[in-house]
Amino acid sequence: MSLRSIRQGALILGFLGVGLTLLFHWMVFFWVSTEATLGISQRIFYIHVAGMWTGMLAFIVVAVCSAMFLWLRDDRLDQIGQAAAEGGLIFFAVGLTAGPLWARLAWGTWWTWEPRLTLSLLAFFVYFGYLMVRGATENRERGKTFAAVIGVVGAINIPLIHVSVLWFRSLHPEPVVARTDGPALPADMLITMLTALLAWTVLLFALILLRYGAARLEARAEERALQRGATV
Amino acid sequence: MSRYLGQVWALAAKDLRVELRTKERFAAMGAFVVLVSVLFYYAVDWTILSPQDVASALIWMIIILAGLLGLGRTFELEKEEGAMEGLLVAPVPRDALFLGKVLANCLLLGSVELVAVFAVSLFFQVDFAQNWLGIAAVLALGTVGFVSLGTLFAGITAGTRMGETLLPILLFPVLVPLVAFGAASTASLLAGFPPAAVFGSLRIIAAFSLINLVSGMGLFRFIVEE
Repeated sequence: MSLRSIRQGALILGFLGVGLTLLFHWMVFFWVSTEATLGISQRIFYIHVAGMWTGMLAFIVVAVCSAMFLWLRDDRLDQIGQAAAEGGLIFFAVGLTAGPLWARLAWGTWWTWEPRLTLSLLAFFVYFGYLMVRGATENRERGKTFAAVIGVVGAINIPLIHVSVLWFRSLHPEPVVARTDGPALPADMLITMLTALLAWTVLLFALILLRYGAARLEARAEERALQRGATV
Repeated sequence: MSRYLGQVWALAAKDLRVELRTKERFAAMGAFVVLVSVLFYYAVDWTILSPQDVASALIWMIIILAGLLGLGRTFELEKEEGAMEGLLVAPVPRDALFLGKVLANCLLLGSVELVAVFAVSLFFQVDFAQNWLGIAAVLALGTVGFVSLGTLFAGITAGTRMGETLLPILLFPVLVPLVAFGAASTASLLAGFPPAAVFGSLRIIAAFSLINLVSGMGLFRFIVEE
């Protein structure tokens, strides 16, 4: 992919993502019906779930790119992985901020050890480490490899963490909390939810493309600087 | 196969020999274990909690913190005078190198765990003698998983500017399954449940350790290549 087409793709996806984001926020605030038992606070749910979903999706991209990078040694895979990790952290931060807000209103406590919330927090830190290692390694090539190894170890361990946080409740029974996502969501809620998921998935890919383009430019600038015998 | 095991043992024996001569890491970790137990004693209000309630949490947290201290220095020796290059040109596969490091670290941490169990039972009057075999099995299996991940990540952090500071950030998120099931089964065993009651947890710990040992063997060659 040429830089021009990356830029064009990022712009198109970016405008589409921002548009859809505005649309789903309008739906959340003005259109969707209020949930009967939880009231208005349930509207946080759309933002929370969309953030978590997009974050997890980004980290699947990181895991796949990390494994492929170790195998194929193609710099583009590393750049996409890095872009996805940065994007994923943003969406996880949104999800992890909205989660406690909702938990406070729905369950009366800022934090619960709800398995999915716990898993997201831990996954956030796995990929936080992924980016930190990259920044703390002087030799860039080694930094890429280190990050990819962490990406793979994270991907291997996240299912284990998931199983553990799920089963941990059976070790220490907690009072059962009411869950809002009942068996069937009413149609307008489902549409809002799907719009939110679509909006942020599109926005995620726009961010990945933008960051990937920037990483390509950085790599090119560095190459030229090296050719000129200067150090960046 | 026996040749491979011989290589692993030779590599582990090298690290253990250095450790036996200097006793640096063991002394630091052992002292840390005793001192952190003392701090724990003063950190907890014993009129509310009984030592039995928190013994398994204590032992696991002490082991993990002490382990972190020792694991961070796994590749310290190799940093000097091109010792790492020396190891890498040795005619042994990279996974044997990793296994050798893991084995040496396991034996080191295992001996520190004995100090930890002794310190906790002495300071907090916790009885490890009943069910000692079950507790030893939980700790041994857990150690393999912890050390596998820790050794791999120590190889990474040794190559970064931040060094050991980075190790807990990489290590702690993925240790959750180990701590959850390790501490829970240790607590059950300390409470006098038969070992059969924790068999399920033990299997999860074993699976965790095996997966991380094998993935470490596969991934180690990427982090040491020049």
